[in-house]
Amino acid sequence: MAVELDCTGKSIREINTGIKKHIANGEKEVLVRNPGARHNLGVALLEPSTVTFDGSVGYFCGGLMDGATVEVNGSTGWGLAESMLSGTVIVHGSAGNGAAATIRGGTVVIHKHAAARAGVAMKGGLLLIGGNCGYMAGFMGQRGTIVVCGDVGEAFADSMYETVCYVGGKVEDLGNDAVVEEVSAEDISFLEAIIADHLPDRLAELRPRLANFKKIESGRRLWNFDKTDWDVWQQVV
Amino acid sequence: MCGIIGFLDKQSDGTSPVGNTVLTMLNALACRGPDSAGVALYTGSSNGHTVLRVKLGENGDFAGRRESIAERIQGLGTILDSSTTEEYLRLELDFQGDPKELSALIETEADNVEVVSMGNALEIVKQVGSPENLEQTHGVSRITGTHGIGHTRLSTESRVDLSHSQPFWAHGMPDLAVVHNGHITNYHKLRMLYEQHGVRFYTDNDSEVIGVYLADRLSQGMSLQEALTASLDDLDGSFSYLAATRNELGFAKDRFALKPLLFTETDETVVVATEEIAIENAFPGIGGVREAQAKEVQVWRLN
Repeated sequence: MAVELDCTGKSIREINTGIKKHIANGEKEVLVRNPGARHNLGVALLEPSTVTFDGSVGYFCGGLMDGATVEVNGSTGWGLAESMLSGTVIVHGSAGNGAAATIRGGTVVIHKHAAARAGVAMKGGLLLIGGNCGYMAGFMGQRGTIVVCGDVGEAFADSMYETVCYVGGKVEDLGNDAVVEEVSAEDISFLEAIIADHLPDRLAELRPRLANFKKIESGRRLWNFDKTDWDVWQQVV
Repeated sequence: MCGIIGFLDKQSDGTSPVGNTVLTMLNALACRGPDSAGVALYTGSSNGHTVLRVKLGENGDFAGRRESIAERIQGLGTILDSSTTEEYLRLELDFQGDPKELSALIETEADNVEVVSMGNALEIVKQVGSPENLEQTHGVSRITGTHGIGHTRLSTESRVDLSHSQPFWAHGMPDLAVVHNGHITNYHKLRMLYEQHGVRFYTDNDSEVIGVYLADRLSQGMSLQEALTASLDDLDGSFSYLAATRNELGFAKDRFALKPLLFTETDETVVVATEEIAIENAFPGIGGVREAQAKEVQVWRLN
């Protein structure tokens, strides 16, 4: 049984301190009522526990987190789970710009859509988007995995290092040095496993389409290049 | 950083509590723009009268100016109603002529007299200070209608006064109003081009050019949807802006998605705002909120 915390009339600091006090008292589940789409909720949660926001939250929810689980029964603003080290963030609605930016580990699941710059500069972890995602997702990704079940916007996977991306829908435009590869049997079982884990309601619909997912990785052309190579400059500028 | 909001009641018969809804949303974004606040409300009156909101100046003999303006426009239309609140004169006219001629005639009264809005449905009220102050001065929450947009301003480049506040009426084009969050970086170039064609600019606020641009495109025969889409290429810089006409509400977001804008739609309403906190304040638990994508344009019409 989750302990409840009502945000009505409380400052952001009072809410966040309240959540941390409950966790320090050994509560495993905290249900936060009336979050009202306010910013900076559930930031820097460092103990294993599940914090559920019963509504939408604003910017930076679940940021700087290590090991907790945050669930949002609504939408989120910018910077969801930013720089998370480990843990799980689940959003039942859509997320604003910069979701899962620079995460080092953990899992971010967005059931509906993500706006621009999702998963930029990821250094690890998994970003799973049930719907579409916007402009410039995956930019400069170093490690980790991005899976988008729907369509992706312009400049997808631009200038990446070793992040691996999978896209179920249309790719509006590939970023610099992004290359499309065939999915292997191993890729398909990986996709099936994470969808079964995190989006079980979608599994029946997505399973027959998994073989058509596009795998997108860095072409590694920009990792090292000769500065006198005019072709490369033309490509990136 | 500014806050913008929009609300449209799809099935409205013209008596929806638009003023109250817009103000409730705007109050939640007061912290994004402490310099000034304003609303453009579409009152849904279908009596065909033209309503003007005129800024009579910064201070001085407002009563004298009111009389003088009434005399000036006698030949163009019949004044059905006239009232003054602070520096605002509100006129209701039986008028069928050229809106540009009417506003130019009123503005010959003095340099600091400006027609802030004109239209059959549109009324703009804006002033320096918070949305709360706006309510205290003008009783915005009592105004009913079909749809509306609002703005809280954090000035970055230009003066803080009533004229530089938003929403902007697209001078000369009845019922067209705009609110903008962002920065139009080709403003000076566009302004110069329009000035060469005789367009008067009332402020040094880059957002003013969006209204001028849309009025230009609409007068060339474009729909609002087409004009908003064309603006994605013609306007440079960062922008999320809302534009409203007598029966439409729309938005456009720049190609880099640099400014936030979220929206949700139900069978009855459309709600748009810079932050979801504004939507939650007026429609708690409405759900389905999504941030607009880069280059996204949406237009909704009244049924």
